[in-house]
Amino acid sequence: MNGTPRALNRILIFVFGILLLAVGVLLLLLAAVPAVGAWWASWAPAASLRAGDLFATTVFPGTRVSWLWALAMALLVVIILCMVWWMAHQGTGRQDLVAWSSPTAERGSPDEAPGRVAIAASAVDQAIRGALMPRKDLVGSSVAAVEFEGKIALRVRVVARQGADPRAIADDVEHLIGAMDLVFGHSCPVLLHVASGTRSRFSRAERVR
Amino acid sequence: MSVEAPDTTEPARSREPSHGLDSAVRRETTSGRALASVVVALLVMLLCVYALLESTLQAIGQPAWIIDPESAARFVAGLPGGINAAILALLGIVVAIAGLIFVVLALRPGRAGRRFLPSRRIAVVLDDEVLASALARRARAAATVRPEQVTVVLSRREAIVNVRPTSGIPVRAEDVLAAVEDELRRLRPQPYPLLRVRVAGTGVIGA
Repeated sequence: MNGTPRALNRILIFVFGILLLAVGVLLLLLAAVPAVGAWWASWAPAASLRAGDLFATTVFPGTRVSWLWALAMALLVVIILCMVWWMAHQGTGRQDLVAWSSPTAERGSPDEAPGRVAIAASAVDQAIRGALMPRKDLVGSSVAAVEFEGKIALRVRVVARQGADPRAIADDVEHLIGAMDLVFGHSCPVLLHVASGTRSRFSRAERVR
Repeated sequence: MSVEAPDTTEPARSREPSHGLDSAVRRETTSGRALASVVVALLVMLLCVYALLESTLQAIGQPAWIIDPESAARFVAGLPGGINAAILALLGIVVAIAGLIFVVLALRPGRAGRRFLPSRRIAVVLDDEVLASALARRARAAATVRPEQVTVVLSRREAIVNVRPTSGIPVRAEDVLAAVEDELRRLRPQPYPLLRVRVAGTGVIGA
């Protein structure tokens, strides 16, 4: 539940993989199959020379730099920027606020003072953490607000001890969220992730409940 | 012995306050390709930066760092000459395998090793390890053995409960199966695993 562009990831990985595969197979065939080497020799040197001529005929007047070459370099810069953008989009979508008042309320209605009310994600995190603290079958918990499909959703992650009853945990968190809806007067989608981490693996198992 | 999954295609019960996060649950129970994406992005960036560097060095008339673009073009055009055929073949194999890995990564479905539980107000996703340890706890209670004597192997379709009885105290596989099945019915994880119980023929001494 984050802003990772999953379809784009797969498409770009696929394209890159196919290109690598093609280059690798070509290198292998060039080395191993004489016929492919002959085919390569029949056109590659000529194409290379033609490309060289093309660069030589498109130089900026008075310099040795071809504008075609400059264009290629600009393209490289664009590709690098695209890659940076792509990397920056992995795992985004965290929000600081869970809910905030509407702009009309900010200006103030006749019987209300103008102002802005916002609920921070850290407040929800603290509240749920505190409420789950007495549970002996959890090693830890954290809450993050994430934007999902245009809405703010809460992602509750709890790390369960070995042998913990996931149904009991889910019911407890569901109960807490119901109480939170009442307190905040605002209900948002909640996803509970009962995880098992290295901490639960090395801590004592849940035995007596 | 094993038990088939019960009919989980029961008509959608009246789940009035739905959590509305079905697509989020689908996302959470499959794994993305963020790591591979970052690797690809870094590789492409490195290649581009290197090409830029050599181009710039050539444009300002400096000696090339590794190889200047013209020599590189001549070298590539002159293949397979100018290099040991064995090295070229090896390089080809390595590059092709790397490409194949990326293609497979892009096409294979990502499995996160997680299941979801039917729920109302909130969406519940749990790691397979959590489910396995919950099943192990019930199996241990039913077999009255120590925790170390029960292991649960949970794959996407199957849950295999292995019990090693204490020497001299027989364990009834039916009891363990019934208990674990009861736990599975209570939790109703999706996808629902096929349950198998194996009681080892040899016992554990001194447990």
